Amino acid sequence: MDAMVEQGPEGSFVLGKVDDLLNLARKNSLWYMLFGTACCAIELMQTGGPRSDADRFGMVFRATPRQSDTLILAGTITYKMASRIRLLYEQMAEPKYVIAMGSCANTGGLFQESYAVVNGGDLFLPVDVYIPGCPPRSESLIEGLMLIQQKIEKEPWLKKAWTNTKNPKDPQIEGLL
Amino acid sequence: MTSEALIDYVKGLLGDKTKWADPEAGDNFLTVASEDWKNICQTLATDKKCSLTYLRNFTGTDYPEDDEIELTAHTFSYSEKHGLIIKTRISREAAVCDTLSKIWPAAIWYEREIFDLLGVSFNNHPDLRRILMPEDWVGHPLRKDYKQQETYRGIPTTRPA
Amino acid sequence: MNALADFIINSLGLSGLSAELVMLLLVVAVAAAVFGIGMTISGLLTLAERRVAGRIQSRIGPNRVGPFGLLQWLVDGLKLIMKEDVVPHDADPHMFRMAPYLVVVGVFAAFASLPFGQLLIASDLNVGILYLLAITSLVTVGVLMSGWASNNKWSMIGGIRAAAQIVSYEIPTALSVASIILISGTLSMQGIINEQGGWPWQWYIFYNPFTFAVFFLYFTAALAEGNRIPFDLPEAESELVSGYNTEYSGMRFAGFFLAEFANIYLMSAIATTLFFGGWQIPGVTPEQQAGSLVLQITGMVVFMSKSAVGCFVVIWIRWTLPRLRIDQLMSLCYKYLIPLSFVCLGGNAIYLLIFPKPSSANTLVHMITTLFGGVLIVIFVTRVMYHHRISGVSLDLNFLARGEKGKYNPETQVRAYGSFRKKYEKKQGAK
Repeated sequence: MDAMVEQGPEGSFVLGKVDDLLNLARKNSLWYMLFGTACCAIELMQTGGPRSDADRFGMVFRATPRQSDTLILAGTITYKMASRIRLLYEQMAEPKYVIAMGSCANTGGLFQESYAVVNGGDLFLPVDVYIPGCPPRSESLIEGLMLIQQKIEKEPWLKKAWTNTKNPKDPQIEGLL
Repeated sequence: MTSEALIDYVKGLLGDKTKWADPEAGDNFLTVASEDWKNICQTLATDKKCSLTYLRNFTGTDYPEDDEIELTAHTFSYSEKHGLIIKTRISREAAVCDTLSKIWPAAIWYEREIFDLLGVSFNNHPDLRRILMPEDWVGHPLRKDYKQQETYRGIPTTRPA
Repeated sequence: MNALADFIINSLGLSGLSAELVMLLLVVAVAAAVFGIGMTISGLLTLAERRVAGRIQSRIGPNRVGPFGLLQWLVDGLKLIMKEDVVPHDADPHMFRMAPYLVVVGVFAAFASLPFGQLLIASDLNVGILYLLAITSLVTVGVLMSGWASNNKWSMIGGIRAAAQIVSYEIPTALSVASIILISGTLSMQGIINEQGGWPWQWYIFYNPFTFAVFFLYFTAALAEGNRIPFDLPEAESELVSGYNTEYSGMRFAGFFLAEFANIYLMSAIATTLFFGGWQIPGVTPEQQAGSLVLQITGMVVFMSKSAVGCFVVIWIRWTLPRLRIDQLMSLCYKYLIPLSFVCLGGNAIYLLIFPKPSSANTLVHMITTLFGGVLIVIFVTRVMYHHRISGVSLDLNFLARGEKGKYNPETQVRAYGSFRKKYEKKQGAK
C-alpha cells in the first residue's frame, strides 16, 4: 500500500486519482438554484431552454437551496434582499459555489449610486465567477458555469472535506441574517 | 364634468379654504391647509357630483428651501370621468399628517412609502412600517439632505476602489 | 428449502457451514441483487426522463458523461453522496433521518415479487399482487414522516397532500386489480402471467371490454399513486418549493429521487404483468419456455421492453400535461374513478357468469376487443402522421442524438414553428 501511495508535491498519487474521479462526478452534475432577483433571471431561464441547453452538461435547476450546488445571483440585489440571499446561501449544502451574473450583481451596475442597491454580490457572499453583461447572454452564463467546472477539476476535494476549511473568500459578515 | 366646471363646482363647495394654482401652471390642482387635509379629501371623495373615488397616485416632495414637504394626491372619478390633484404642505421637522387610508384604502401602501422615503408619519395609520427599505435602515432617502450610512449590517454601501 | 441449501453446500464444497447460514447468505445475496437491479433501473430511468424531456422540448439532454450521456445517473448519484447531509436545526432529527429509508424500503421491497422472467423472480408469493399493494403503502408513511419531521410549512403541506392522495387512489387501484384477479383466479404474479398468452388477444387488457377500461383506470390511479404529473401535487414546484423533500439534501434526497423513479418502473411492470402478458413470448407455451435458456432470456427481454414502453408513456405524459388542482384531483378519484372501477368489477363478474370457461364465444370477444384496441392505435398513429406531414419536418426518432457540440443547428431547432410556417406558406400560395 505504501508503494502505491506515492507522496508527491501535491499530495499522494492514489488520493489524487480518487479526487479526479470524484471531481468528474461533481463537475458533471452541477445543479443550480432557480432563483432570480431581477431581469437577468429571464436569461437564466433561457439558459435551460433549447438554444443553450444547460442539461447537456448535467446542469438542471432545483427549486430548493438544499439540493443546489450553485447560487446564481441573477439581477439587482437590494439591501432588503441581501439578508435573504445570504440565508439561502447558508441553507445550501456544502460544497457550494456562487456566480455573480450581470453588471448589477458584479458591482451594482446601472444602479450603483442608488440608496437601495448593494454595490456587488461579493460584498456579502464569496463569489467564484463574475459574468459581465447587462444582461449576459445565455452563452455567457454557460461559459461561467463551465468556469466553475474548471475550478472544481482543480480542487483537492478529499482534503477539503476532511479538514472542513472555511472559504477564504467569504466576507464573513456577522449579523446579516 | 369638464375641467372648468369641476373647478367652479369645487370652489363653490369648499369656499375660501382652497388656494388654486395659477392657470399657467398646467394641471388643475388645489392646495389646502394641512389641518383641513383629511376633511376636504373626505368631502371630495363622498360628494355626489365630485365622487373622486379612486386614488391613483399619492406621493411627496421635499422642499428644504421652504422647510416644507409637499404631499400630492392624484384622484380620479370613474363615474364622472374627471380628475383632480389635491396638495398640501406640512412642516419638515414635525412631518405629521392625517391618514387618508379611511377614505381610500389604497393610501395604506402609498403612505407607507412616503413614511419610508420621506419620514412623514401619518396619524391613525393602521400599519405604518417601512415598505421598500429594510426595517432597520437609518434615514429617509428621498429627503434632499439625506446622507447614506457607511455600512448596512456590515455590508459597505460604497464599493471599495 | 433445505434441499437447495444442501445442494449449494455439496456443489461448492462448503461442508463446514450449516444449512441455515447458507440460506441466510443466500437471502442476503438475493436481496442485494434485487436492490441493485432496482437501483440500476431507476437510475437509468432518470437519464431516460431527461433525454426524452430534452427531445420533447427540442433540446438534447445530458450527453457529456459516457457514450450518449449514459453514465449521467452514476455521476449524479456520486455527487449526491458527496454533498453535505443537512439536518435543519428545528427538525425532528430521528424521524427526519429515518423517513427516506422507509420510502426506499417500501419501493424496492416491491421489486422482490416482480416477475422479470419465468424463473427470474426473487419470491413468487402466492399473494404476490396483494403484497405489492401492501408494501408500497410504506411510501406514504415515509413521505408523511418526512413532511412532518422537516418542520417546514411546504414540506408539511406536501406530506399531507401525499397522504391524502395516495390513500384515496389506493381504492381504484385495488378495485382494478380485483377485476383481474376475478378472471385469473390467483393472486400470484407468475400465476396471472401463466393464465395469459403471448399474442395480444390472449392478454387480459383485451379479455373483454371491461378489462380494456380497467387498464386505463389502473393506469390513471397508478400515476396518481406514484406522484407523477398530472398528479404531482405533493411536490408541486410552483406552489410548494419541492414539497415533502424541500429540506432534504445529499444522499437522503437521492433516496427519495430514486424511489420516485423506481415507482414508475414498478407501476409499468405491474401493468405489464396484469394486462400485457408479462414475459410470454408469442407462439411459445410456458412449458416450452421453461426448457430453453434462449427462450428464458427472450422472455426477460419481452418483459423489459413492455415495461419500458410503459415507462416511456409515463414520462411522455409528464412533459405534456399541466398539473391538476387538489380539489380536481380528489373529485376525479371519488366521483369518477371509484364508481367506474365498481362498474368494471361488476361487469367482469357478470361476464364470467356468462362465459365461465374458455369457449369460441369467449375467443370472439377477445378478438373483437383486440380489433377495437388496434383501431384506436391506428387512428392515433394516423393523426400523428397527419400532423407530422403538415409540419413538413423529416421524421427523427433518434432519442440518443448526441448533437453537435457548441453548434446551433437551425434545422433541428426551429421544428416547433414548422407547422405554423407551412400553414402560413399555404395561405400565401392560395392568395
